[in-house]
Amino acid sequence: MSPGSRPLELAVDPKSAVPVYEQIKRAIKMDILSGHLSDGDALMSIRELATKLQVNPNTILKSYYQLEVDGFVVSRPGAGYYVRVDRKKFHQERRHSFVRETAEYLSRITEIGYSVQEAISELERQLEIARSKGG
Amino acid sequence: MLEIRDLDFAFGRKPIYRNLNLAIPSGQVVLVTGINGAGKSTLLRLVAGVLKPARGTISLDPRLGRDPRAKIGFISDRLSLYESLRVDQLIRLHLSLFHVEQFDDSLIRHTRIGLRQRIKELSIGQRTILHLALILSPKPDLLLIDEVIHDLDAYLRRLFLDEIIRQLSEREMTVIMVNVNFHDIESLVDRVVMLRDGEIAVDESIESLKQKVKKIVSREEQTRLPVLFQREYSDRREYVVYPFDERSLDGVQGDVVDLNLNDIVAAFIAGEYA
Repeated sequence: MSPGSRPLELAVDPKSAVPVYEQIKRAIKMDILSGHLSDGDALMSIRELATKLQVNPNTILKSYYQLEVDGFVVSRPGAGYYVRVDRKKFHQERRHSFVRETAEYLSRITEIGYSVQEAISELERQLEIARSKGG
Repeated sequence: MLEIRDLDFAFGRKPIYRNLNLAIPSGQVVLVTGINGAGKSTLLRLVAGVLKPARGTISLDPRLGRDPRAKIGFISDRLSLYESLRVDQLIRLHLSLFHVEQFDDSLIRHTRIGLRQRIKELSIGQRTILHLALILSPKPDLLLIDEVIHDLDAYLRRLFLDEIIRQLSEREMTVIMVNVNFHDIESLVDRVVMLRDGEIAVDESIESLKQKVKKIVSREEQTRLPVLFQREYSDRREYVVYPFDERSLDGVQGDVVDLNLNDIVAAFIAGEYA
């Protein structure tokens, strides 16, 4: 697959209180953290991604610009945006995402009436199952 | 920058605007909305130069040059195309009027509009998309869109929005839209302006609007909230609140729900009719 042609599995939710540029930024960061995008990969061009998501190109530009400030991508004038991860930022962000995802998970399960203790037991139970399957 | 300063306008004795002020930076995409009769279309026609203000000024971006009207694309709600012309004749006429070298057919290429067809043989959706293609071909720096895109089916809307996105990504184009159906343009809009009685009632970036307008669903009646619009159901009450503030929730038992642009505008408008 040519650089930048990897389809970004991302859809924006206009109803969310999280601004669209922030949703896009987070999704790309997740792609980088999970290794779907790695150093040297091109991001989709602003126009392509704007058309795909049906959002204002300025919004995409804002996401890309912030990713650049955050140390995840670099822009090459005339050539677009490329992934280039600052190792320190990468580990900070990885940790940050882990904490955020965990907090969100806990808030969802407590919302439906389970306790954190029950969550831990369930995690241990699932870990057991995974282990026994893994042999 | 498009700047409207101290604008007064009336239709005969019926005042539409009194002392309206609005500044729109270049490249911004603005949605203008409000109840029927709030003066939305009139605003576009004033900016397009079709109507003249009674008092005040509308200054267009100096970068639009000495003949700024040539750089404005106005998609009016009163479409008039020459019925008996063929499509290719109309395109040629339009190109010569606007001194455009070449017609960009990307918008109509996939629409089954035949160049040899007469305008009167086209469907409403086809006419609208042809009109949009003609308006966009001189590459306007300021695009004014009235409610016409309601006439497009889902496929043609998508084509049209793709074309707007393409042009927005190629150059700095300012867009002012009036009251178009919100669900698929929401992510294109930077800013929302609501008109009420000839004045600006709300002027917010889309992001702050979403932070400031929330729905609160509660079992009990709420009396201290700044409510735009409310609805009662047998088991609950729903309040659309503006401006929303976490602190105003003290002592309120209820859930806070995010809203999309459509819900937000509907709540403002419902509030005006109430």
